[in-house]
Amino acid sequence: MSAPAQVAERGAARPGGGYRRPGATRGNFELLSWFFMRMSGLVLIFLSLYHLVWWNLVIGVEHLDSQVVIERWNNPFWRLFNVALVLFAMLHGLNGARYSIEDYVRRPGLQLAVKSVVYTLVLGAMIVAVFALLTFDPATLINR
Amino acid sequence: MANARRTSLGNSLRYRGREGMWTWILHRLTGLGILLFLLIHVVETATVIYFPDVYDKFLVGYKTGLFRFAELVIFFSVLYHAVNGTRIIVQDFRPLVMQRQRQLVWASAVVVVLAMLPVTWMMMAPMFGLAQEPGVERHRQRCAEFPDAPACVEDGHSAGTSIAAGEVSL
Repeated sequence: MSAPAQVAERGAARPGGGYRRPGATRGNFELLSWFFMRMSGLVLIFLSLYHLVWWNLVIGVEHLDSQVVIERWNNPFWRLFNVALVLFAMLHGLNGARYSIEDYVRRPGLQLAVKSVVYTLVLGAMIVAVFALLTFDPATLINR
Repeated sequence: MANARRTSLGNSLRYRGREGMWTWILHRLTGLGILLFLLIHVVETATVIYFPDVYDKFLVGYKTGLFRFAELVIFFSVLYHAVNGTRIIVQDFRPLVMQRQRQLVWASAVVVVLAMLPVTWMMMAPMFGLAQEPGVERHRQRCAEFPDAPACVEDGHSAGTSIAAGEVSL
């Protein structure tokens, strides 16, 4: 057994820098996935908490109806806000679900089946939501 | 596969990893819970655009105590996931703070609990008649302007004019 490499102080920077695993064979996908989770997570903290506070505490679920939502979306800024929220939340959630599936569903065939179902549901819902938001024409709906 | 890692939820729970293990499990559970809720929430909200009447009928079912509690659970899940996620990001990019990782966990817990106190009061107290619904003033103003808005007809805030809540068939 060769002598262990000198142990760096905990938390010290890697020699050569960077986060890439030495000798990684599967490309950078997992590194990008790790980075995406951190960045989308940071964005989502603001988007999702604002969304929750606005609808639950400022408007109140009791006072919700189609008219309140349509009035809100009459402003393109809030439609884009919701597009960003849906895209980031769904992709962050889908990648998180992938982590769990790969940890717990280990039979390759079954794992593929579970992934197919989950990816289809999540991406399908995401496409429906983004399509609805981007094709929304407030003129036809407001004060109907 | 001889070298396949065997992981199950049971094994995860038996592994006694203290704070780090429990925050990790709760991060997964809240994340998967939020994703499940999102699937329903996003499709249901998309109906506003194509079938606003269907959306309004959905909503009547949501305005019950059971759903209010579910909404509180979702609020907690998102808040916990956000605060714990922030802790993970800090630990990843400033690894030296790992020397104080237990304190960081407890600090995160304090932040979540402190934020949940007013949120829980605002969302649950109206259910027991202890406080007004959040946003009731804004709602009254809207109903004065648009008495025909579905939520106004439904809860009688437009009844002051001519329509009595009971006469409206949905």
